[in-house]
Amino acid sequence: MHETALIQNLIVVAQKTLEEHNVKRVNSVTLSVGKLSNAMPDALSFAFEAMTQRGSLKGAKLIMKEIPVTVCCLDCGAEYNPLNFPIICPKCNSIYYKITQGEDIFIESLDCEF
Amino acid sequence: MKMCKIEIGKDLKELNNEIAAKNRNSFKLHDIFVLNIMGSPGAGKTTLLENILPLLSEKYHIVVIEGDLATENDAQRIRKTGVTALQINTNGGCHLDAHMIHHEFEKINAAETELIIIENVGNLVCPISFDLGEDLRIVVLSTPEGEDKPLKYPPAMLKTDAVILTKTDLAGYVDVNTEIMKKHITDINPRVCVMESGKINGVYSADKIVSYIKDKIEAKKVF
Repeated sequence: MHETALIQNLIVVAQKTLEEHNVKRVNSVTLSVGKLSNAMPDALSFAFEAMTQRGSLKGAKLIMKEIPVTVCCLDCGAEYNPLNFPIICPKCNSIYYKITQGEDIFIESLDCEF
Repeated sequence: MKMCKIEIGKDLKELNNEIAAKNRNSFKLHDIFVLNIMGSPGAGKTTLLENILPLLSEKYHIVVIEGDLATENDAQRIRKTGVTALQINTNGGCHLDAHMIHHEFEKINAAETELIIIENVGNLVCPISFDLGEDLRIVVLSTPEGEDKPLKYPPAMLKTDAVILTKTDLAGYVDVNTEIMKKHITDINPRVCVMESGKINGVYSADKIVSYIKDKIEAKKVF
């Protein structure tokens, strides 16, 4: 359910950006969604559609890119993309890791008409 | 007509994170330790608090912030232990955010407070994603929720310092092996601290949890 809160933030950030540019229309918003970001793409789409019925993002499309999880092994430093838990380093079998990518959601860009 | 791409590259949680950073600064300024307790509805978060507060309040001046969709019930339960409690009603909101905590902090006598314990809205998904400015995160998971619950909610196991398995006295009645449940937790997050609570001969055991929290508070004071 917190997807609505995330889309609300997206609208605020997009509006701030648009104030600095003389934009006629926003065609699309590109988001990168980490696989462990705890946000559901379908719920993000639904919230986006519902919350951009009016305002500066009216009619814009939401494009989502899924970002896989990347971790760094804390023992040997290897970087790898685990597919499942438990996360085990393919090089040294260590179970200790740090997640370096895949936990966040970023607004990448706005595609606009001037 | 001219088309153009405006690059942004901003975290969607940035607005929350900015306020969380301000909260963290205010807490540090007043030497206040903040604990965020999260877990499903009915996991036993308030019961855990009722049992650890008498022991923690011997040493610290505590304020509890309760988050629920509706009612003042949990705040009332906490007040019965003698600890000050503020209740946030989110009216449908599924999590607490940094702004709500900032607002509650303004009502607190900071000079007389050493520990703030936030009991988040019962939900094992959304609260995990929102930094409140806390020092320590604890996820409460009850054994009747099912042995494989940790596997179904990886972010909750990953973004916490400790997991407390509650209602361990009920595990046998709901066919849950607590050792397997603990293994599922550490399979996801090998560095998390796993503790247990439950009734032994009718008495709630929470001593280890109290020591754990005290150690974390004292460790922060050193730095």
